[in-house]
Amino acid sequence: MGENLKLPYWFFGIALVLGATLLVSDPYVASVVNIVSIAALIAVSLRFVMLIGELNFATAAFVGIGAYTAGSAITILEWPFLVALVLGGIVAALVSIVFGYITLRTKGPYFLLIGFAFTEAVRIVYSKSMVLGGNSGMVGIFPPIAFDPWMPTFVMAVVALMIFGLYLLERSDFGKILTAIRDNEDVARTVGLNILFVKIACFAIASFAAGMAGSLHAVTNNVISPGDFSFLLAAFALAYVKVGGEDNIVGPLVGAVLLVVLGSYALGLGGHEHIFYGAAVILAVLLMPEGITGLLRRGRDRLMGKGKRHAA
Amino acid sequence: MQHEGKEALLRTEGLTRRFGGLVAVSDVDFDILPGEILGLIGPNGAGKSTTFNLISGFYKPSAGKLTVFGENCTGKSPLTISRMGLVRTFQHGSLMPSMSVRDNILLGTIHGVRGAGKRRERAAETAEMLGLTPYLSEEAGTLPHGIQRLVSIGIAFAARPRLLCLDEPLTGLNQTEVANTLAVLEKIRDEHGCSVLLVEHNMKAVMKVCDRIVVLHHGQVLASGTPAEIRADKSVIEAYLGHRHAN
Amino acid sequence: MQIAIQLILTSLQIGAVYILFSLGLTIIFGVMRIVNFAHGHLFAVSALVVATVVSWLAARGFPVLPAYLLAVVAGVAVSMALGYVMYVFGFKYFQRDMVGSFILSIGLVLLLDGILLEIFGGAVRPVPEILPGNAEILGASVTIQRLFLCAMAILITAILYWALTKTKLGKALRAVSLDHEAAMLQGVPYNRMALAGFMIAAALAALAGALIAPISIVTPVIGADYLIKGFIAVIVGGLGSIPGAILGALFVAAIETFGGFYLDPTSATIAIFVLVIVVLLVRPKGLLGHG
Repeated sequence: MGENLKLPYWFFGIALVLGATLLVSDPYVASVVNIVSIAALIAVSLRFVMLIGELNFATAAFVGIGAYTAGSAITILEWPFLVALVLGGIVAALVSIVFGYITLRTKGPYFLLIGFAFTEAVRIVYSKSMVLGGNSGMVGIFPPIAFDPWMPTFVMAVVALMIFGLYLLERSDFGKILTAIRDNEDVARTVGLNILFVKIACFAIASFAAGMAGSLHAVTNNVISPGDFSFLLAAFALAYVKVGGEDNIVGPLVGAVLLVVLGSYALGLGGHEHIFYGAAVILAVLLMPEGITGLLRRGRDRLMGKGKRHAA
Repeated sequence: MQHEGKEALLRTEGLTRRFGGLVAVSDVDFDILPGEILGLIGPNGAGKSTTFNLISGFYKPSAGKLTVFGENCTGKSPLTISRMGLVRTFQHGSLMPSMSVRDNILLGTIHGVRGAGKRRERAAETAEMLGLTPYLSEEAGTLPHGIQRLVSIGIAFAARPRLLCLDEPLTGLNQTEVANTLAVLEKIRDEHGCSVLLVEHNMKAVMKVCDRIVVLHHGQVLASGTPAEIRADKSVIEAYLGHRHAN
Repeated sequence: MQIAIQLILTSLQIGAVYILFSLGLTIIFGVMRIVNFAHGHLFAVSALVVATVVSWLAARGFPVLPAYLLAVVAGVAVSMALGYVMYVFGFKYFQRDMVGSFILSIGLVLLLDGILLEIFGGAVRPVPEILPGNAEILGASVTIQRLFLCAMAILITAILYWALTKTKLGKALRAVSLDHEAAMLQGVPYNRMALAGFMIAAALAALAGALIAPISIVTPVIGADYLIKGFIAVIVGGLGSIPGAILGALFVAAIETFGGFYLDPTSATIAIFVLVIVVLLVRPKGLLGHG
């Protein structure tokens, strides 16, 4: 009966990456580690809504809302650092509940496109708001000085905690309802489940994660501007999910690490970021629709000589 | 309608549904009683599916009244009705194909049962009763058609409804599978006191398992009664059985 | 009064381009049930090629009008060739797969963004005036070029409408978009229809790009803004509906123009977004969407 949560792997993995971040001293490596962590959290947030079968392009908007909330709380209100950080997630989640209540009645292309429009509309609000710094954005969003040497470890710890939490939710009975909605919403409704409520909950949880990613982005980048939160942010997150594989929560992690690291290497070579990501997405969907983790799993199954099904 | 003092689980009065100019269901009255299997039959286009969708709240009636478990449910949402204890299946693909049989059945328990352990107990018990235990870890969408049909019933029955509404659960099943499913329905009625509404094409099976039958024709109730009464009803023979026998 | 007429004329000019854009999006969605974000790049490629070729020919002493016409042919040809490549090597494999096709199109957006920037650079490409002069309509002044754009857009839309309702191909396309299984059962070759629908949409985007080049600031990212507005127009009108696309495009253009004049462009954009939300609240599948 007891579902295999693979907890030892998780604890070992988290301890390993956290330990590794302690060895980081080079500021460039530290910034790449931060970017990878935040990218992974955004990708996992995007995938969490994919569990109900919807592509959530409003993810970019909620990352932005988190970043601007944390930024304002730190620079304007001068609230404590950790409070500001969590506030980013909370505000993103609250906005997403209102937005989701209206838009989650729609599905598929309508939901996708409305999320896309929302992202662009929110961006215009930032760029026209004097308080939020208009087009040039906000500057000087610094963590307390004591945090500075530990930032990569801190960011990684927050991200790991969030991702682990999302993983536990996915594997819980709540997570099974999410998959059921993607598979066959009508059946889920006939056994007394409130589908709209579950969808909003899923959306709000994912948006909390996206908002937290935004908070972390603000405090690690120290500068934010409306241009950081265009729909391209969600497009990149989608690239991580697709290249890594969406079947399993490990997929977006693999995709984020691989693409961000390769991407910053490609940038170093003077390559063009967009061409690199675009080609990666196209090749991934055409040649390996189940992503890298999907390929690995198939390879393993073949090696073990049986077509073992991956029942959840 | 009188039923020796038994209060109906479900009652429709003058239930009518129009689609544009077309009247799919017109002035339909019938009751479903506690502990019975009621067959709803009729030729294609007789309004069976529409009636089914009306009583489960998926369609709103154009006129008439729907009473479920003594409460007026006219125009109530499918969610409200299902939470009262009326659970339905769908004619096609009434399961979650990418999930395991275990998780499919588990889904039916989530609303009604508190605690992950208790849910798993209920799901295991339901699977056992339907003979699905050997398939628990299989992905539902990959199983043979007959097993998938049982899984659909399993999901619905795991919610332990007071009234289970099945939309053509026997379509495409072989004789053994039909007999097996009918036995399951009788078990559901006899051991759990759950009423069953059975919308079916398979006349032999309906005659065998149902306590009472309602015949729809051109969106109206043509006749209702015990299988023996229906078999003897002239208008039914003319409209439906005769037509069948002629084939 | 004069202001109102001026604003209506401006709405029509913007609306004309949105119509061509949203018609393409709605046809592709109707026939293939896919959402193509790279549609804006077909538009951008055409506009960029037109701008480049016109300038090149004009610099070599070509008269402006013939140069423009040649450039339009070149722009539409290049853009449609790109559309054909997108279809044959990509979208063909993702028919009726909303998520897969969308992801593919996002990949194409990123790739083409980068490639267009490499080839054409980020600089603005000025196009010489093709049809000089102004016209007076009910006291409001319009440049001849913009008037020409409107006339062409109306003509193209009318031809498309006629083709969809009267020709065999058009009827088959509509049948596929209403119920592709039934259409296939009746012998409509689905794959050929999908290609036809995709190429018609590509041609519409290419023509829009070629028409907008002389009166707009041509850059590699010119498609993005029109794409957003085009998608909003089809959401409002209902994905897959031809009259819906036209109605939605005019709606969006009118709000943008009037809002931009009486309030400010930002408020206008927000107002468009609010319009979408309101429409979706009342009709989750758009004003004229099926179901």
